[in-house]
Amino acid sequence: MIEVRDLVYEYPSKRALDGVSLVVAPQTITALVGPNGAGKTTLLRCLAALEPPYAGGVEVEGLSTRDSPRAIHALLGYLPDFFGLYDELSVRRCLTYAARSHGVAAALVSGAVEKAAQRVSIADRLETKAGELSRGLRQRLAIAQAIVHEPKVLLLDEPAAGLDPQARRELSTLLVSLKDAGMTLVVSSHILAELEDYCSEMIIIDNGHIAGGKALKVRDDERPRYLIELASARGDLREFLAGAGVEVAEADENHAVIVFTRNASARAKLVRDLVNAGFEVARFGESTKALEDAYFAQVGRS
Amino acid sequence: MNPEFTRNVWLELTPRRVLFMTVVLALIFFAAAVSGGSDWRPAAVAVFLYYFLVVFWGSRNAALAVVGEIRDRTWDSQRLSSLNAGQMTWGKLFGSTIYNWFGGGICLAVILTRDLVHQGVLHTLVELVYYIAVGVISQAASLLASLVAIRRKQRHTRLEIFVYQMAGIVAAIAVLLVWEAADPAGALLMGRKATDTIVWWGQIFDTRQFLLVSLAIFAAWTLVGCYREMRLELSMTNGPFVWLGFLVFIGLYTAGFDAWLTSGQQLTELDAVGRRLALAGSTFATLTYVMVLLEPKDRVLYRWIAGQIVTGRIDRAFYGFQAWMMSYIAALAVVVALTIRLIQFEGGFGEGPAVIVAGLGFLTRDVSIFVRLQSLPGRRRGDFAAVVVLFALYALLPAILGGLDLGGTLFCFYPKPTDPAWLGPVAAWTEAILVAATTIARLATGERSRARLAPA
Repeated sequence: MIEVRDLVYEYPSKRALDGVSLVVAPQTITALVGPNGAGKTTLLRCLAALEPPYAGGVEVEGLSTRDSPRAIHALLGYLPDFFGLYDELSVRRCLTYAARSHGVAAALVSGAVEKAAQRVSIADRLETKAGELSRGLRQRLAIAQAIVHEPKVLLLDEPAAGLDPQARRELSTLLVSLKDAGMTLVVSSHILAELEDYCSEMIIIDNGHIAGGKALKVRDDERPRYLIELASARGDLREFLAGAGVEVAEADENHAVIVFTRNASARAKLVRDLVNAGFEVARFGESTKALEDAYFAQVGRS
Repeated sequence: MNPEFTRNVWLELTPRRVLFMTVVLALIFFAAAVSGGSDWRPAAVAVFLYYFLVVFWGSRNAALAVVGEIRDRTWDSQRLSSLNAGQMTWGKLFGSTIYNWFGGGICLAVILTRDLVHQGVLHTLVELVYYIAVGVISQAASLLASLVAIRRKQRHTRLEIFVYQMAGIVAAIAVLLVWEAADPAGALLMGRKATDTIVWWGQIFDTRQFLLVSLAIFAAWTLVGCYREMRLELSMTNGPFVWLGFLVFIGLYTAGFDAWLTSGQQLTELDAVGRRLALAGSTFATLTYVMVLLEPKDRVLYRWIAGQIVTGRIDRAFYGFQAWMMSYIAALAVVVALTIRLIQFEGGFGEGPAVIVAGLGFLTRDVSIFVRLQSLPGRRRGDFAAVVVLFALYALLPAILGGLDLGGTLFCFYPKPTDPAWLGPVAAWTEAILVAATTIARLATGERSRARLAPA
């Protein structure tokens, strides 16, 4: 769906992206994470054909952003990190304009507006002026504008910023439903916790590069991440696990995060082996911070 | 209807604003009517109000049409819309100014009613075309200025927005001056008494008709300029042919005024062909300066063009040429033709051809200075620096040297007759080649060092 090859982007005084290559599979939600200033927004803008690459290329649905930017624009929905709304227009008119300007036929606009408003739970505010909405509702309206034309690819830059916990949960549900409806989503954020619920893959951008060189699986139902916690420190924990043929994502003297099969017998055997080797296992369970674990395994806990 | 236009109508033409404008204008016209004086005092007031609403205020709204979207962070969404450049251009140009046109329309109704009663249908129609053209030209010029500034990644401060607005106002003033000067009642046009006829390419035309057609054509070119800048904003590319078409048009248009070079001009001695070449060449050189100042000096593009030329794909490179490059090539071609003409005319490489060739050398040097100072990494104020350098080269240093009785060296700074004649061109082209070569070398070095300094 999206393929990036050796992408280089430069600002006058800085190389923001340096040889980025990645592939985003169709109908997935990919998290784009990294510290502030790492190049996430620049990469999203290059994916959206809003910025021309200095070198390398971006293809969306087989179309090059360099050769067919307008065709790509027609496939996209994009929510910038700092977005604006037409404060003097009602929610209905904002959505009507978004639909019409994205080529929705006049006869279908009304239905598209209602559907988008319902998806983000602002159907009861259609006659309210955008300028009178709370910050959270403005965020929802902006997302509704980005999806009103049912794009194939949805790029969201910090979509949960300003949302309360309830709204964030609703956003997660919405994004998953959009993915299930056939969209491919790329979501940028530097708040890992908010991505945990809905992302299937994660791309870590750090200093203009992709950390680890490729996308990481956030959740693997066959081989999830497990947290092992010891009651007393053992410096050879990593070595023991590696020797046992276990994939260690991260380890220190007291903890280890491993990627391991979901098979119960295999897990029981591993625990037994650890205990038999003298490790005081205080906890062995599926990690609830898979994204965070994967992130820090790549970029380190600095 | 165009969604962008519709959205602007929603925002601009609210019932309250429409009522407000109507009531205020009605009260002003009523006050003008009862304040005595001429029977048509309201029409005189309406002329002033039209210029205020459509030209002064309208050009500001046109300048803000895209800049305001950038400021309010809605432009990216619009750039991603399905609207094509034509829809976006006219939706913005006429949508953002729809309130001004509404007020201006009321004023125009008062003005044209007076004209219809006093001067007949034909004059009224001419006036209608004039007023609409001056409004469109001023607003389109402001929109064009703002779009050019966007491509140059200006910051859009209040001062800069005022500059975009001024571009429109200056365009309107130019139109007004030319229009008024063509009035046989006796206004002046470029120091000459106006007449009711004008000579162009040796043919005699009715002045007002000629200017009316010229106005319409220049309005069309301004709109084309807006359209092409909008294409670039929407991530589309522009081929070279429209600018080439403009060069052909403007070259032919200005060359047609050779009959005006009749007295007190250096080229009076030349025949018509020579004078026309001189006019066209001057126009192309001026356009080169204007465009090299306005266009972003994009080293990514320059690298691409150089790559195409090196690999022998000149035709592909041509598609990437910026407007200043094409203007420069046009100036080069015309200057070569003019030089040959002058050599034939003077019977050798005398003072005339030498000054012309030196002028082209200085143009080459100056263009290289602009490219060198702006296209390097980290340069944000390169154009300003280039203008300062040119000011020093053309005014400051010559003034100092003149004061030191070293006036004989001034041929090193601008085209000037020399003895021997070849000295001026040699000096100019030596400077040009040096600056151009160091510019190309610096660009290439910048590319290589950037590649080395890329983060690991």
